[in-house]
Amino acid sequence: MTDAPVKIAIRGLTKSFGAKHVLRGLDLAIYEGESLAVIGGSGSGKSVLLKNIVGILTPDSGSIKIDGEEVVGVTGPARDRINRKLGMLFQNAALFDSLPLWENVAFGLMSAHGVEKSEARGIAIERLRQVGLDSDTIDRVPADISVGAQKRVGLARAIAANPEILFFDEPTTGIDPIMGEVIDSLIVKCVNELGATALTITHDMESARRIADRVAMIYEGEIVWVGDVATVNSSGNEIVDQFIHGRVDGPISTNVTTAGAA
Amino acid sequence: MNFVAAIGRVMLNFLASTGRLAIFTGISVSHIFRPPYYPRLLLRQVIDIGYYSLPVVGLTAVFTGMVLALQSYSGFARFNAEGAVATVVVLSITRELAPVLAGLMVAGRIGAAMAAEIGTMRVTEQIDALSTLATNPYKYLVAPRLLAGMVMLPCCVLVADIIGVFGGYLVAVHKLDFNPNVYLKNTWQFLEFIDVVSGLVKAAVFGFLIALMGCYHGYYSKGGAQGVGAATTNAVVSASILILASNYLITEAFFSQ
Repeated sequence: MTDAPVKIAIRGLTKSFGAKHVLRGLDLAIYEGESLAVIGGSGSGKSVLLKNIVGILTPDSGSIKIDGEEVVGVTGPARDRINRKLGMLFQNAALFDSLPLWENVAFGLMSAHGVEKSEARGIAIERLRQVGLDSDTIDRVPADISVGAQKRVGLARAIAANPEILFFDEPTTGIDPIMGEVIDSLIVKCVNELGATALTITHDMESARRIADRVAMIYEGEIVWVGDVATVNSSGNEIVDQFIHGRVDGPISTNVTTAGAA
Repeated sequence: MNFVAAIGRVMLNFLASTGRLAIFTGISVSHIFRPPYYPRLLLRQVIDIGYYSLPVVGLTAVFTGMVLALQSYSGFARFNAEGAVATVVVLSITRELAPVLAGLMVAGRIGAAMAAEIGTMRVTEQIDALSTLATNPYKYLVAPRLLAGMVMLPCCVLVADIIGVFGGYLVAVHKLDFNPNVYLKNTWQFLEFIDVVSGLVKAAVFGFLIALMGCYHGYYSKGGAQGVGAATTNAVVSASILILASNYLITEAFFSQ
């Protein structure tokens, strides 16, 4: 996998919220075509890392390069051009509740890619079918469907424009284990079909094992271990061992912090 | 010393908020003029702000006109100036009462709805989703609301002017036994173009402020349902205060000698 070119290169990334230092000089490389899962406990900085990469947050310092192009501080049309390469499934799907399902999926196509409404509707129906939703659901609004179905629609929206890079923020959070496995298998299928690079943020080890080629462990705002998913059980890293076995005793503090939003 | 520090903190927070609002306003206004445009969203806001506000604005105007005729008649009767009732009603309605009362009613109805809708989108990550879909939230959410507010509140106020004057006419003619022709003649005789225009300019400013406060407080809301509730309250309160303060400034600009 490391023979492939680097798709996303992150160097020395820092981000603080007031006195709370969430990311502390984080380095990470994601290679083209791979599926990387970033695991870590609550408040470890996983979501903040993801939001910095997609431009929702701006880091205090450091560099993020996508296809060799610096994206930190890039705004306006230049940022929109970069974002057209990306697709993202949010933790709670983040569907637009005033729009029917098909329009949620077609939104980026119509708004950012200039696809005509009728064509975008056709693509949306095809994407919804890919994630296992019937065509009779397409005119419903998000409030009318289950959380699991909303995740499917979120996934359909993420892949609608054939993005080069896919981001998944806690894809199995809030759904039962069976639906979690279904969503994971859909993610794997979609990533493989697109040939995309994927970055998944999760604290669900089973999900990480199903989705990822490689796993990175984030702890106190830094990547403390990276390796193939098959080697995660024999990482030799105390922090990884404690996390994947869910032990209370170990280097990972179980104290609850309240400063900042990580 | 703690007291001084507390005052300092309040001042710094105030200045930070003012700066954030100024930046938010500047970015939002710039997106009104830059493509791409979203005509469907603009039409939805035009209907929400204009058409659906008409009943509440109309009711406010008709009762205000009726009360104004009654009050001014009983006051002017003390020095035999009943003939000025029609003029007082039309000037009060067009210059002040229609724009201010319509503004306050629309602030309660539309400002709160905007803050709640955008605030919910913020706390459920829908605004973040817009960004990842290469869609600018200022352009998509804020610009259509600002434009619709500026355009539609003057339309509502124009209707309120007519309905308010009609309310005064009803009371004057049917309760106070004014001659209908004389009342209408007195209404038109002293009404000047600037009376109506100043009211409409006020309405455009109020419409902008209502939409701005609704969008701003919704956009920066946080903390789930409680945060959205607070954003809604803040949007209505701040819009109402700004309406009353800017009303004085616009009146000063138009009518100070």
